[in-house]
Amino acid sequence: MSFLQIDNLSINLGEFHLQQVSFALEQSDYLTIIGPTGAGKTILLESIIGFWKPDSGRISMENRDITDELPERRRIGIVYQDYALLPHFTVYKNIAYGLKKTEETNIREKVLDISSSLGIDHLLHRKPATLSGGEQQRAALARALVVRPKLLLMDEPLSALDPKTRRETRILLKRAIRERDTTVIHITHDMKDVWALANKVAIFREGRLLQFGSIEQVFTRPRSEFIADFVGASIFDGKVTACHSGVSTIQINGINLVSLDHADPGTEVKVAVRPEDIIVTKIPPKEISAQNIIGARLDEIVSEGNTCILKLSSGRISLDVLVANNAVERLQLEPGDEVYAIIKGANVRIV
Amino acid sequence: MRKIDIFRLTFIFISLFITLLLVFAIVALFLVPDPEDVWHNLLSEEMRYSLKLSLLTGLVSTLLVMLFSLPIGYTLSRFQFPGKSFVKTIIDLPVAFPELVLGLCLLLLFGNTWVGKALQSVGLNFVFTVKGVVVAQFFTALPYASRIMKSTFDYIDPRMEFVSRSLGYSRFETFVNISLPLARNGILASTVIAFARCIGTFGTVLILAGGTYMKTEVLPITLYLNISYGNMGMALTSGIVLMVVSFIAIYIFEKTEVGL
Repeated sequence: MSFLQIDNLSINLGEFHLQQVSFALEQSDYLTIIGPTGAGKTILLESIIGFWKPDSGRISMENRDITDELPERRRIGIVYQDYALLPHFTVYKNIAYGLKKTEETNIREKVLDISSSLGIDHLLHRKPATLSGGEQQRAALARALVVRPKLLLMDEPLSALDPKTRRETRILLKRAIRERDTTVIHITHDMKDVWALANKVAIFREGRLLQFGSIEQVFTRPRSEFIADFVGASIFDGKVTACHSGVSTIQINGINLVSLDHADPGTEVKVAVRPEDIIVTKIPPKEISAQNIIGARLDEIVSEGNTCILKLSSGRISLDVLVANNAVERLQLEPGDEVYAIIKGANVRIV
Repeated sequence: MRKIDIFRLTFIFISLFITLLLVFAIVALFLVPDPEDVWHNLLSEEMRYSLKLSLLTGLVSTLLVMLFSLPIGYTLSRFQFPGKSFVKTIIDLPVAFPELVLGLCLLLLFGNTWVGKALQSVGLNFVFTVKGVVVAQFFTALPYASRIMKSTFDYIDPRMEFVSRSLGYSRFETFVNISLPLARNGILASTVIAFARCIGTFGTVLILAGGTYMKTEVLPITLYLNISYGNMGMALTSGIVLMVVSFIAIYIFEKTEVGL
């Protein structure tokens, strides 16, 4: 049996609810949960930790039913977006708080150890209110990790930080989790968290678990249009015109796309393409292994920090392409340019 | 040049006008009596008895009020249970209730009902006794203290308590380690307001404990008894003492920055 097993969990708190949620995690899995606001993500975490009693369903950890166990006995840690540090304690006392309950010796050593690995050992005597957001979040993380929880739950731990601090904190977080081999469930809105930290993803909407699986599965094979849209893939309606030797041809608004996914000829399908899986060139490519080469017009360049989204249109379909900023400079791309979009057949997914 | 804002000026004038009237009324209380007379009255046997009884009952009642309003405030802020809004209404009722009516209700309850008789059989007689003074003050002040405690706990993020429990502390330990220290200002504010209410309670005390000279005579009763005999000096002196207590209470309350 799995390390953490959630079976048919349902809870209704009026404003937020969960319906029949089931999934399982193995030891040292890192699960990121994504989904729109109001999807019941926080309720899920707070049910797993035991702050809310589910209306039905079962939660087991290490082969033991913990559905009715008191939160203080579950050994599950939690980190919130707004840190929830205790304002009347110093950083040291905040981190030592959990240790004081469980052990009498080595408290000082353990606090120093975790705080130096998270780079907050010089802040231990300060009150939380005098710390920056990033420092407070590292303190909250230290407080949760120092007691070596069996499972760590994090509710948008990086969302309140500015982009630079978020990147730095993400690196520290990753290292701290790896060193301790902690099993984690992490709610986020930032796909970068998913790519950088997780091995599994769950997508929630309106209290339901829509899809659960490895990052690979969920991002390349979104199970519905909503998920594809949510994880940033472009979706097209098409019709399978041919399928032989493992290669399907799908006609989409007059354009043919080749996919390595199997589908029966004549069926209507939806096709997902991820923006980072498309290559753009200005010169018509020759002798190239990729099977899809689409002539298109560059309509718009949308900057997103280090990366850009190129908005292409070809006939009646439009494509989003994710490229690095310097690619735009190198190719001297400008709106109005005629370009070619190259997509490997393996990256055209039938959803 | 800026145009004169008639609306703003009128509203400020109304606020100032009423404030000034109140200030004059309060100042009159301090200016009308002869200071020597006040001092003399303060040292009189009746005043010393009344002052001592007020402080004693006030402290005991405040302690009891806080002992109850902490769990009541926490319950109303944190827990959902059937009948919660009923509990809230009944506990808040005395805020809007005339004190005399509250006193009358308590008099009936602790008088000849089985509740009253049961309590009397274990030595708790609240009718026309000093113990009755405490009970009267307790029920008058409880709603105010419970309300302040509820809004204090409302402002404490329950997630602080969640975190404490996730780190292995039970509900009670979390209440003691986290909720109470974070509610410090609210507890102070609520204690001060409860004490001021206890010291100043008149109607409830008069009906339940009776206004007996040198027996159940607390400061408001002294004021009342002396006004009825026409002894203005004593009445004014107890008025001044009550006023000073309320001023100190409101000052401390404002300092704690807790909302009602």
